[in-house]
Amino acid sequence: MINTQLAALLTSGSFIIIGLYAAIFLDNIIKKIIGLSFIEEGANLFLITLAYRADGIVPIFLSGMNPQWFAENSAYPLPQALVLTSIVIGASTLAVMLAIAMVLYKKHGSLSTDEILGDKNE
Amino acid sequence: MSDTYSKISDSVNKFKNKLKKDQNTGDNVTSAMAAELTIISTVLISAIMLRHLNIILTVLIILGLGLYLSTNTPIIGKIRREQNDSLDRMTFYVILTLAILVTTIYWGIIN
Amino acid sequence: MNDLIPLMVIIPIIAAILLNLFNKNNSTVKILSFVVAIVLPIIPLLANYGTYYFGGHAPLTDYGTFLSLFPNSILNTLHIGITYSYGSMQQILIFFLFIIAFLAILTTIGERKKISGTYMFLMFMGLASVVAMLLSDDIFHLYIFFEIVIIAQVGIVLASNHKEKYETAMKYMILGSIGGPMLLTGIGFLLALVGSVNITDIVHVVKNGLINSYSPIFLLSFGLIFFGWLYSVGLPPFHTIKSDMYSKATPSGSALLQTLSVIIFISIGLAIFRIYNGISYVGTFIIFFSLAAMILSISMALTETDFRRIIGFLAVGELGYLGIGFGIGTKLSLTAALFQGLNEIIITALLFIGFGTTLYLSKTSEINKLGGLIENNPKTGVMVLIGGFALAGVPPLNGFQSKVMLIQSALDKGFPELAIIMILISIVTFMTFIKIFHSIYLKPKPKDLIIEDNKIPKSTTFTMGVLIIMCIVLGLMPSLVVNGFNAFIGGLI
Repeated sequence: MINTQLAALLTSGSFIIIGLYAAIFLDNIIKKIIGLSFIEEGANLFLITLAYRADGIVPIFLSGMNPQWFAENSAYPLPQALVLTSIVIGASTLAVMLAIAMVLYKKHGSLSTDEILGDKNE
Repeated sequence: MSDTYSKISDSVNKFKNKLKKDQNTGDNVTSAMAAELTIISTVLISAIMLRHLNIILTVLIILGLGLYLSTNTPIIGKIRREQNDSLDRMTFYVILTLAILVTTIYWGIIN
Repeated sequence: MNDLIPLMVIIPIIAAILLNLFNKNNSTVKILSFVVAIVLPIIPLLANYGTYYFGGHAPLTDYGTFLSLFPNSILNTLHIGITYSYGSMQQILIFFLFIIAFLAILTTIGERKKISGTYMFLMFMGLASVVAMLLSDDIFHLYIFFEIVIIAQVGIVLASNHKEKYETAMKYMILGSIGGPMLLTGIGFLLALVGSVNITDIVHVVKNGLINSYSPIFLLSFGLIFFGWLYSVGLPPFHTIKSDMYSKATPSGSALLQTLSVIIFISIGLAIFRIYNGISYVGTFIIFFSLAAMILSISMALTETDFRRIIGFLAVGELGYLGIGFGIGTKLSLTAALFQGLNEIIITALLFIGFGTTLYLSKTSEINKLGGLIENNPKTGVMVLIGGFALAGVPPLNGFQSKVMLIQSALDKGFPELAIIMILISIVTFMTFIKIFHSIYLKPKPKDLIIEDNKIPKSTTFTMGVLIIMCIVLGLMPSLVVNGFNAFIGGLI
């Protein structure tokens, strides 16, 4: 039996590492942005993993439930709500970055960060 | 006496010439020299704060820093070069800081 | 009237959305933004101190019957909704924030014949976000609005007509996409430990020893949140990009950008201080990065030749003073840091807008190509000079009062070195200021400098006058705000 929580944590960690690698070493600006969104998603996956409970139930408290039993078995709803907000923010950040990348491509005719975002005085 | 004087003026001139390579007006040379002196003095003074940790270590570090800073003038040119607006250099320092920060905070206390 | 508390966030957001809708309608945009900007500063004065629970979700203490099912648990203090707390510190800072925003909006309206509703949208959105950050008692709420501020800041920079603006914005967003998720991961670790994102709850758990302050996860969360904080405020290694941002925006835009940064500094800084106060070396880290910011920024400012960039570096360097106040961590130093933050907002706004008037008369911002502008606008020259005095801490202006308090607190705590460095940096700051002032206003006019016969708008002069009056009043009567800050900090420590 695979431990789902551990697997998800490892995945989120590797997402962050892969994203950081892409952000540092890749030259193409679109690839860089994809890497950055990997970091974002890694953080989101990490948060959502915190809410996971093996064989848990949906966190909706119905009348007639035993509160003690509910508290012991339900998943934690707070991180889920947080991640939902965070995904929206991440998507808008991504959209802004891609839009600027488009303008930069039109201006310089190149997608290489070294060319468009390097130091002009060097 | 005149020997010492010429020595000092020579070293100042050498220093000015070194700075002049990337700067062009006298105004900029003055600023660069002021920046140089500010960096040396503030770094040395802030190094004194290590006395809260260990006094002998502080003395050694200050002597070492003083020697390093005074033999490596002009240091401002190097600092400027490292802080230019190129994305690669910025990312490098950002990741370096992240790595050092997390490492020192996470491992520094566990011993 | 606690119901007024969320209005400080809601009104700017509604105004922002409306302004975006009326984007093409020039006069509507002008009138609407002016009216909203003038109404906003009144709200913090009318609102009562207290807390506001969103959706009426009061802390669980009020649900006695439910809690009796879980005796002796930390649930007793748990905040289940987003909480806004409004005290004397929030009142003062939000009031001045709204005043500065009003002045920035007024300057923008005066400067441009055609006002873009989208630009106003960004200004109001940034404003609403930082107010929410100041009020919020919820660390995830802080993160969300921090991300919104980043987008608003980028938008404000993109609205200028500098030819390198897209490059700078892209760099800022790329670095932000590294800094932001790190902050989120740090918050995630805190959530994993405590089970709540409410700062009061976290502090309660830490103070009562329910979690070990030196457990690796708690330390890791400190490291990541601290890193996110460095990005959000522009302490090293982010000082180059932050000063770059300031230098690419329009003058009033830069004034607002710096205001937003200072408020972010204060709100996340206070959260870090409250949560991690128990770890002995937190102050050391903050002081280290603040000193680095001061030293590196001032040395860069001295060697730059673009005056907008120089002021950008000076503004970032001044943030180091706030950081030192937070790092020392005594009651006096925190009060001084808040006061210094307020002063910095006012002074840098004055300098950005004041030096920005140079751009009306000549199209260049290279100080080597400028000179002799005192003949063309002596009034602005004198006003900028007063701003420079306030920045360097010349009595009786406001910068002097807060810097003296900071130096006093450093001496009290047993760090005379910090006091010496603060004085040294303040002298060099003054020297840098005089250098730009001399090359723009006093130096003989270069032959090839073309001065256009543009009139400086009345609104700009009015803005600078108001800012100078604020500098002088706060310098002569610091107790107006210091007492409020002191009361707030007293409740914190």
